[in-house]
Amino acid sequence: MTDSVLRTVVRRETHSPRTVAMLVVVVVLVLGLAYAAVEIILALAGRGPLLVAPGTAFDAVAALPTALTPAAIVTIGVVIALIGLVVVLLAVKPGRLSKHEMTWNDRAVVVDNGVVASALAQHLSNESGIARDNIVVGVAHRAVDVTVRPPLGIAVDQQQLRSIVETEVASYRLTPSVRTHLKVEHPAEAEREDSR
Amino acid sequence: MRNTHRALNRTLLLIIGLVVLAVGAALIALVAVPGAADLWKNGADGVRAWADGVGEPAFGIGTVAVMVIVAVVLIALPASAVRGSSRVPLESTGAESAAGRIVVTDGFASEALKNSIAERDEILAARVSSNEVRKETVLHVSITPRQNTSPREIAAYVDTLVSNLATLTGQTFRTYISVHSSLRARLAHDQRRLS
Repeated sequence: MTDSVLRTVVRRETHSPRTVAMLVVVVVLVLGLAYAAVEIILALAGRGPLLVAPGTAFDAVAALPTALTPAAIVTIGVVIALIGLVVVLLAVKPGRLSKHEMTWNDRAVVVDNGVVASALAQHLSNESGIARDNIVVGVAHRAVDVTVRPPLGIAVDQQQLRSIVETEVASYRLTPSVRTHLKVEHPAEAEREDSR
Repeated sequence: MRNTHRALNRTLLLIIGLVVLAVGAALIALVAVPGAADLWKNGADGVRAWADGVGEPAFGIGTVAVMVIVAVVLIALPASAVRGSSRVPLESTGAESAAGRIVVTDGFASEALKNSIAERDEILAARVSSNEVRKETVLHVSITPRQNTSPREIAAYVDTLVSNLATLTGQTFRTYISVHSSLRARLAHDQRRLS
């Protein structure tokens, strides 16, 4: 898929627009500004303050270095800086959604990771004969984790399972590409060994 | 598909985040850097002197005016950034041949697609819409398949349908297919009751 319009669409659909974060930050700021403006207008009109008069507030801020202990100032500073850092990170980080792009001719196809995981588990179950309930698949941004819990006494060929999974994953042609991790758990056999 | 202006969202977040970060850093510097406390006090005195010079009502009104302007900008920018999906109807198209001319009315394409998709048992829900992205029409087919359905099959099926539609109407659409897992898909997961 080389179409630039579809590229834009895929980019939009696989990354967070950060609308919620932006709205929260803006609403908090506007509420703060509105409150400050109300206090100033009340002071100008000669009425009593809602919480604190603007002049008193300014004096408190001006006297900050002497009014508070250094530890308290640093603590407040660190908290404010951390909030700022979180907002900056939200702005800078890509914000990937748990979706993958599937290469499909000239169409743009975006698939939820959950769909890939369940399809992969079903395919492995069909091909290997292991019950679907004994296969757990997790799809992350760059990795596919497959956990197989074969019933007691059933021999599994790890190499074969791996090749089934890898062939199927490769057939999806996901972008970004994923690496496969296969784990075979034998909980029943472990128990038997313990009791011996 | 939404046409939210993402760069604007992120720029706004970045600016506000940096300002907050700077305030926090200034507070830490107040303790950590020697002489910063004096600077703070001198600055506060300077502001107070300037406010006295301007006079109380004028200074207050001025401050409120600045706050109102900042608030208006803060509200107006996101309002222009957040745009819902802009739906454009698929244009009527005509395919001409010796046999005559076919005219496809608005919504026909989406209805035809939806009906064809509904025939498949493993597809629980489908939505077809057309959107305008960078002034180009993009057909969006959103599919929620039953659990354990291969996304490859879904993509192949929808791809074929869209290609058929293109042959029928004589117009090729840019197509975006999204395959979703949903709560409904999870609930519809058929449990084995017999073994």
